[in-house]
Amino acid sequence: MESLLKVADLRVTYGRAVAVKKVDLDVGEGQAIGLIGPNGAGKSSTLLAIMGAVKSQGTVMFKGRSLHKLQPESVARLGIAIVPEGRHLFPSMSVQENLMLGRLARRPGKELRIDDEWIANLFPVTHQYRERPAGLLSGGQQQQVAIARALLSDPDLLLLDEPSLGLSPTAVNTVFDALGKIKALGIAVLLVEQRAQRAMQFCERSYVISEGEIRLEVKSKTEEDISAVVAAYFGRSA
Amino acid sequence: MKIRIRLVYELGGPLLLIALVALVGSMMSIAQQANVINILVTATIVIGLYVFIGNSGVMSFGQISFVAVAAFAAGILTSPVAIRSTTMPQLFHFLAVTKISNLESLLLGALLGAVFALLTGLVLMRLSGLAAGIATFAVLEITYDVITYWNKIGPGARTLALVPVSTGLSVSAIGCGIAVLAAFLYQHTRSCRLLRASREDISAARGIGVSVFRQRLVAFTLSGAIAGFGGALFVHELGSIQSSQVYIDLTFTTLAMLVVGGSGSLWGATVGGIGFGIVDVFLRNAENGVALGSLHLSIPSGTSTIILGAFMVAVLILLPRGVTGSRECLERFSMKRFSKAVRLDDQDVPRKP
Repeated sequence: MESLLKVADLRVTYGRAVAVKKVDLDVGEGQAIGLIGPNGAGKSSTLLAIMGAVKSQGTVMFKGRSLHKLQPESVARLGIAIVPEGRHLFPSMSVQENLMLGRLARRPGKELRIDDEWIANLFPVTHQYRERPAGLLSGGQQQQVAIARALLSDPDLLLLDEPSLGLSPTAVNTVFDALGKIKALGIAVLLVEQRAQRAMQFCERSYVISEGEIRLEVKSKTEEDISAVVAAYFGRSA
Repeated sequence: MKIRIRLVYELGGPLLLIALVALVGSMMSIAQQANVINILVTATIVIGLYVFIGNSGVMSFGQISFVAVAAFAAGILTSPVAIRSTTMPQLFHFLAVTKISNLESLLLGALLGAVFALLTGLVLMRLSGLAAGIATFAVLEITYDVITYWNKIGPGARTLALVPVSTGLSVSAIGCGIAVLAAFLYQHTRSCRLLRASREDISAARGIGVSVFRQRLVAFTLSGAIAGFGGALFVHELGSIQSSQVYIDLTFTTLAMLVVGGSGSLWGATVGGIGFGIVDVFLRNAENGVALGSLHLSIPSGTSTIILGAFMVAVLILLPRGVTGSRECLERFSMKRFSKAVRLDDQDVPRKP
C-alpha cells in the first residue's frame, strides 16, 4: 500500500529533555494505525511534531512532500487534521461556530466526502446542541464535537490524541464506533491511545512506543498476542 | 430570529448608552458638557483598543501611539497656515503649507492610524504574551520620543495650539457611535471569528488552519484606524495638544477602562469607557468640591487617582472578566438558560447518589 505519512528518525526535545528519541512509522492511505505506550512515552510529542506544532529533527513526509519547517496551519491545509488531547474546543463559541471553523482547512477543488449531514448522522449531539456554547457540553459530547470539527476539513489523515481519555464507557464506545465509520470512508487514522487493547483491536497495525523510541510493531489482533504486548510494555492487563 | 434579536441588543445596547450620555450631557452646563465630550472621545479610543486586545487576547500598550500620530497630524494640518511658520519653523514644507478641513482630518486620522498600525503590526504580530506587550510598549516610547523631539513633524515638546475646535457633544457622540458600528461589523466577520478562536486556544486554532499572524494584523490595523479616528476627535475637542497628553497616562487610563468594563465584549468596552469616565470626572470634580443634593462633598487633591486605582483592583479581584462579565448586552440571560439545560442532560458528569 502507498505510504500516506512517513516518519523517519524523528527526534523532539524540550530544552534538555528528550521527549522523542527515534520514531519511525508509516501510515498507508485509508489505514488505521495505533501508537500506544505508557505516560510520557512520547506519543503526543510525535503527533505535535507531525503537525509542526513543536520543533523536531528527522523526516516527516506526507503524500511525498516534506513537512519540515511548515507551520501547523499550513500542515492542516495539506489534509492533516488533529484532535488534540483535552479536545481544545473554543469553549465560548457555539458548537455550530466550532464546526464552521473546522471547514477552514478544506482544500479548494477537492471533492468532499464529508458534509454537515454526514456529521450530524455520525454525532447527533453536534446538531442537537448546535447553538450551545461548546464549553458547556459534557466531556463525551465535547470529544464528539472535537472529532467532528477535525473531520469537517475533510482530511486525508486524522491524528487522534487520547480520544477516550476521561470518558464514560458509553462515550468511549460512541467514539470508537464513529472511528470505524470514518475509516470506512477512506480517511487514514493515526490513533494515540492508552487503552492499548482497544486501540490494537481497532487498528490494522500498532506501534508500541516507550521512552521516546518505537519498540515494537504489532500486526496481530489475537487476544493472546495483544495481552502479551500489554503485559510486557504496560506491566498490566489493559 | 433569536440571533437577530441578539444582534439588535449587541449593537443597540452600546448605541443607546452613547445616546443616553449625549442626551444627559445636552441638559448640562457648557462646562459640564466638556466632561461628557471627553468621556465619549475617550470611549471611542477604548473601543479601538477593544477591537484588537479584546478580540485577540493579546495585551497592547501601543495603541495610544496611533492616537498620538493622528492627533498631531490632524491638529497641524487644520491649524492656521499663517501661524505655522512662527510656531513650528522647522516643519517639513508639505506640513507647513497643507491645510485640510476638520472633517477631512478625522478621515486622515483614521487612515494614518491604520497605516501606522499595519506597518508596526507586520513586525509585532508575530509575537505573543509578554513579548508582545513589551514590544507594543516600545512602539509607544519611540512614538512619544519622535513626536517630542523631532521638530520637522510637529511642535516638539511645546504645545500645538490654535487647533480649530469642532468636537462638540453631537460630533463626539456620532464619532463614538461610528467606532461602535465599526467594531460591531468587524466582530461579525469571518476574520474576527478566526481571531477569537486563536484567543480561546491558539494551538487548536492553528491546528485547524488559522493564520494567527494574518488575523491579528487585520484587527491591529482596524484598531489603529479607530484609535487614529479617536485621536483626531481628541485634538479637535481640546483645541491644543502636547505629546505628554497622548502617552502613558492615556494608555493606562484607557486600558483600565477596557479591563474594568470587560475586555471581551463591545458592550464591556463601551460600559468601561463611559462608566469609568463618569466616575473619573465625578472624583476630579469632588477634589474641587461638589454638591450632592444638600451634601457638599470635597476630597483632597490626588484622591481621585487613588480611589480609581483601588476601584480597578477591586473589580479585577471580584469581577476578573470586568463589570459586564465580558458579555454583550443582555447576553447573560441566554447563557443562564444554556447552563441549566446542560446540567439536566449531561451524561458524563458523575451524578450524586
